Amino acid sequence: MRRALVTASMLALALPQAAFAKGEFDPSEEFEQHAWVSIHIGSLDLSITKAVAYLMLGSVLTMLIGVTLMRARAGRAQALGEQIYEVAQTQVAEQGLPSKGIARWFPYVATLMLFIFVVNLIGFIPLPLSDEKWHGLPTLGIYAATSSLSVTLALALLTFFFTHFEGIRWNGPVRYFKSWIPEVPKALLPLIIPLEVLGQFMRLISLSVRLFANMLAGHMLILTFIGLMFVLESTVLAIVAIPAATAFYLFEVIIVVGIQAFIFAALSAIYIGSAIEPEH
Amino acid sequence: MVLSLIAATAGNVDAGKAIALALGIGLGSLGAGIGIGNIFGSMIQAVARQPELRGELQGIQWLGFALTEAVVFYGLIGGLLAYVLI
Repeated sequence: MRRALVTASMLALALPQAAFAKGEFDPSEEFEQHAWVSIHIGSLDLSITKAVAYLMLGSVLTMLIGVTLMRARAGRAQALGEQIYEVAQTQVAEQGLPSKGIARWFPYVATLMLFIFVVNLIGFIPLPLSDEKWHGLPTLGIYAATSSLSVTLALALLTFFFTHFEGIRWNGPVRYFKSWIPEVPKALLPLIIPLEVLGQFMRLISLSVRLFANMLAGHMLILTFIGLMFVLESTVLAIVAIPAATAFYLFEVIIVVGIQAFIFAALSAIYIGSAIEPEH
Repeated sequence: MVLSLIAATAGNVDAGKAIALALGIGLGSLGAGIGIGNIFGSMIQAVARQPELRGELQGIQWLGFALTEAVVFYGLIGGLLAYVLI
């Protein structure tokens, strides 16, 4: 079963959609958003694009995984569910959150981890969700919703708002904002305060750009290696391009997908935890 | 070497941009490579000294790995922004 899955995904990688599109191939086109179903409310653009479709699929899968694995009574499903729960509990929540905040924020960080993991992972499975058509059918393509900055920025904004909301709720606004400023000589304060305030917003950027750039670069690498054959129009390159693309594919699926989900959740837990219980 | 490259491609803006992007990402990955090597080296030492702490250290190790690795991508995004905007 597992071997068949690996073979199928490798075959799908070796036959990318670019094979059907003769001539020009540009990897960055894979990341363009075209409105499939146009929805405009005032100046708000809520059109359903590739990223939205992947997000919807990811949400449904996350819920299914949560319901089936966490409620499993016996067997392999239960063991897997317990393993996921244990990682979320010991490695993510308990590392960052203080004991008084864990009951409230464990569901958030655990969901975040599972959701980002699922959305990242379905991005590496060739799915018929692409803009190109081949005899009327959408061609197979790999695309991750998390390789769009809007998606990761929305997730980072959630953490950002929850952090400050919890900080103010537990400590009161005055004590919380005072806790941002470290103990330094008074003369240095005009220099330190803007830096610390800027630092809070830099978290937003680093949290979102880390996930976005990782997924974008991973997909770009794979697409560029495969696309090289079509750009240079020589099938001999396949000897180099397909093993290299497969190696990057395996690296991304085995290491990066899980690590990035873990990191995003762990950092969210640390940020929220440090706002609930400031060090000084 | 850099100067000779610049001289060879004088007047060719696209070539210059390509070289700048490649050099920037290359130098960025140099730093991150050193950092990632440090993290795994320290991890090996720590586990060799106290194997019973492996489980606890692993979380910190992957956190450090991802934080360091992300530095390359900040460089990549900066490079791509410069490439597209200029």
